[in-house]
Amino acid sequence: MSDPRKRLISAKAGERLLAIAGWTVVWLVVAFIILPAVVVGISAFNDRAILSFPPQAWSTRWFARAFSYRDFSEGFRNGLIITAFASSIALVVGAGFAFALDRYSFRGKMALEAVLTSPLVIPHFTIGLGFLILAAQIHATRTFALVIVCHVVLVLPFVMRSVYVSLRNLDSRLELAAASLGARPGRALFTVTLPLLIPGLFSGWLFAAILSFNEFTASLFVTAQATQTLPVAMYNYVREYADPTLAALSVIYIVVTALLLTIANAFLGLGKVLNVEHVR
Amino acid sequence: MSAERIDPREPVSPAVSAPVADAAARVAGVQIDGVTKRFGDATALHEAWLKIADGEFMTLLGPSGCGKTTLLNLIAGFLEADGGEIFVGGRLMTETAPYDREIGVVFQNYALFPHMNVAKNVGYGLRMRGVAKREIETRVAEALALVKLDGFGERKPRQLSGGQQQRVALARALVIRPKVLLLDEPFSALDKNLRGAMQVELKEIQRRLGVTTIFVTHDQSEALSMSDRIAVMSQGRIRQVGTPDEIYRRPLDPFVASFVGDVNVLPGRLERRIGETATVLIAEGRLSVSADTLEGIAPGAAVDLYVRPDAVRIAEGEGLVSGTVATHVYQGSHVDVLVDVAAARGGRVTVRVPGHGASTRWPAGTRVSLDFSPADAVAFASDVA
Amino acid sequence: MNKRPFLALFVAPATLAAIASAAALAAILQYAFRAYVPGSLNPGGLTLDNFFALLRPLYAQVFIQTVWICLLTALITLVVAYPLAFALVRTRNVALKSFLLITAVTPLFLGEVVRTYSWIIVLGNTGFINSVLKGLGIIDRPIQMMFTTFGVVTALVHVTLPVMVIMLSAALSHIDRDYEKAATSLGAGPVKAFLTVMLPLSMPGVVAGVSTAFAWTFSAFATPQMIGGGKVSMISTLVYQLGFASFNFPFAAALSVTGLALTFAVLAMAKQAIKPLEKIGAH
Repeated sequence: MSDPRKRLISAKAGERLLAIAGWTVVWLVVAFIILPAVVVGISAFNDRAILSFPPQAWSTRWFARAFSYRDFSEGFRNGLIITAFASSIALVVGAGFAFALDRYSFRGKMALEAVLTSPLVIPHFTIGLGFLILAAQIHATRTFALVIVCHVVLVLPFVMRSVYVSLRNLDSRLELAAASLGARPGRALFTVTLPLLIPGLFSGWLFAAILSFNEFTASLFVTAQATQTLPVAMYNYVREYADPTLAALSVIYIVVTALLLTIANAFLGLGKVLNVEHVR
Repeated sequence: MSAERIDPREPVSPAVSAPVADAAARVAGVQIDGVTKRFGDATALHEAWLKIADGEFMTLLGPSGCGKTTLLNLIAGFLEADGGEIFVGGRLMTETAPYDREIGVVFQNYALFPHMNVAKNVGYGLRMRGVAKREIETRVAEALALVKLDGFGERKPRQLSGGQQQRVALARALVIRPKVLLLDEPFSALDKNLRGAMQVELKEIQRRLGVTTIFVTHDQSEALSMSDRIAVMSQGRIRQVGTPDEIYRRPLDPFVASFVGDVNVLPGRLERRIGETATVLIAEGRLSVSADTLEGIAPGAAVDLYVRPDAVRIAEGEGLVSGTVATHVYQGSHVDVLVDVAAARGGRVTVRVPGHGASTRWPAGTRVSLDFSPADAVAFASDVA
Repeated sequence: MNKRPFLALFVAPATLAAIASAAALAAILQYAFRAYVPGSLNPGGLTLDNFFALLRPLYAQVFIQTVWICLLTALITLVVAYPLAFALVRTRNVALKSFLLITAVTPLFLGEVVRTYSWIIVLGNTGFINSVLKGLGIIDRPIQMMFTTFGVVTALVHVTLPVMVIMLSAALSHIDRDYEKAATSLGAGPVKAFLTVMLPLSMPGVVAGVSTAFAWTFSAFATPQMIGGGKVSMISTLVYQLGFASFNFPFAAALSVTGLALTFAVLAMAKQAIKPLEKIGAH
């Protein structure tokens, strides 16, 4: 299960066997991860209205239905609105706070950080229920504003982490250099710090957007019919129908997400953002 | 600062380019008056006093954690002192932000802005000062010429070698015509051959511009070869300030003696002190050395004699100590003969013999007597109880 | 000279966000101590009844089942994720590395509904597994996997796998390769070197991963709801039922608060467990 190349070169059969066994396990795990996506892909093209295997006839009609079903298109639109606001607000709030977190010490810093990162460990159903009760207490209705505030709170830790990691990797001497060359703090921020943070800001925003768009559990609590997001609409669909429309929609979902992540990986280095690669 | 600033000291020689003469006109001395810096409970700098003259090349030398970089950061304004004052060109700097100090800094890792090309990096300080675009172009080109990087303006920092990056950093710091140039271990990232070449080049540029330079390093040979004066630091204190020759030949305390250059230590006893001369008794003889470093030491106290390996000779007849040749370390231009001497601290004395005949002349096992001139020895009160 | 330029500008919005989440949590906490008035959305007076009700066998059993499912999921996820994380960190083939990373991470961004729906198609009575087994003549009647703990845990492992892979990879990638080389040079074979060096050094990552997987599983709603189908209950599904089927928000709040306390207890225990482990790994 160690370095495959080294093992293959090695003459020792035992080690080679070990490498083969290790990689077999790895590929089995990969298969386990991919299996549902593949199965969904196959059933999306199944002509029959009842989920069954293997499909007897093929069709693309479920894709057509997925696009024409009103709850889905509305959910998609609502999701875009909520995601656009939530991820952008989270970016501004999270980036500013990450900067303060990295650079300054101030009163209440630890407490603020603890509260803002707590959604990472607090169950989403708890957060959803909390905002629902909060809305009831202040006699607010389940509007877009409520969903957006809830999503901002949920995705904020991810934005903060992404920007914080970029800030940490940013050499603070660059800012000192700018200061020694006569740049006031504001100009140093705009000419040196911000330009160098753009990848981190963008990836933070992208993660926030993807997570917000796909958030389900908390959204189920805080959305109403008029503000229902796509995942909520999909959940409601499964409860009513058993046809492969949702499979078709899932295929689109999987393809778009994988594409977005591949692009993000190519441009930003997902490994660094997720901290699974040793930077420098 | 305006582009048309009229300088009373116009370039004397047409061969000297504008930034060169201009820099000479702006240079200023630096005065550090009892500056203290604490980080939490730790005192990084303990009441440092230092005067650096206009145009002087001053090196802050010491091991890591001695406070030299802290002092540099205080001068640059990156840190605020807990006590004491810093003057640049006679002006008190306490209330002056780093961006108003007119001090050029070359960082250890150069800190070149990775998202800007070389020309943009070098021109950054000028843009911050609102210098006209035309003038920026001219001055950037001049600065790049000064560091022999003509035509590199369009490159990105990562496309440059370490030495080239360092030149860019130097050009960037010099183009703003700083009153003082600060260099923070600028050679530590370069390999040995390049380091030597860059040292010579930096020294030449500094001479030509006459800019007051404060250079931080832990490398004693670098300090000895480049500086007008050296301030040796340890544990947050300046231990000695002097010319390289003074530091090397007349160290004021055991730390300076052992940190700068190699040294042999011979334990002895102070016999008596008359005026400026002290007589010290060591294993096989007595000798008279300067009493400067033995202030307050009573006769009979244990003292250590510090002698450089290059000051020790293998005597033909009687010597001051004797021992057996243990081994030879070939160093190219000279050979270090390591002699087992029971009377020496650590049981060893290193003798630096020019040329390469030492190993045949005194093979391992040879009994030898060692001698040195009292003028080359410095005595300190023994720090061993 | 201002030493902290823009501080207020940077911290004020974050403070607002923190107030919003604190207010939501405070709202739950407050409801947990209020009486349920049947037929009304507004709660009654202060009471501890909601917490006493949790002790009833019906609810206590859901608690135990939830913890059991979380533990099982976290441990299975660990076993499944470790080889993948190891391969991800060790392979020098850039394309393979990217493929493994994207494969491991994409499910994280798909959302619970899409992933759970996929598992319904895989596990259903007329789904992929049963159809394949039937087609191969191995079984006559479909194996019941939907509405079982097995089905729920299988899908939950799939849900928590990405985050486990990320945490393990992070831990593994920060272990100096020289330790393993040193072990090999001292005569340890690859298996021994792994067991005596890499595995102990990766323990902080393992504990962090398991505790996070536990918390994530605890938080999961769509998976137990859709695959459990009411037959396999977890705290999350119960909270939803209480809230939206019987509108008993005070009791749902009490259940959430207790669940939250449980999560924090588990995370705190994990933190304690990591402490001595990190000392081993420290240089």
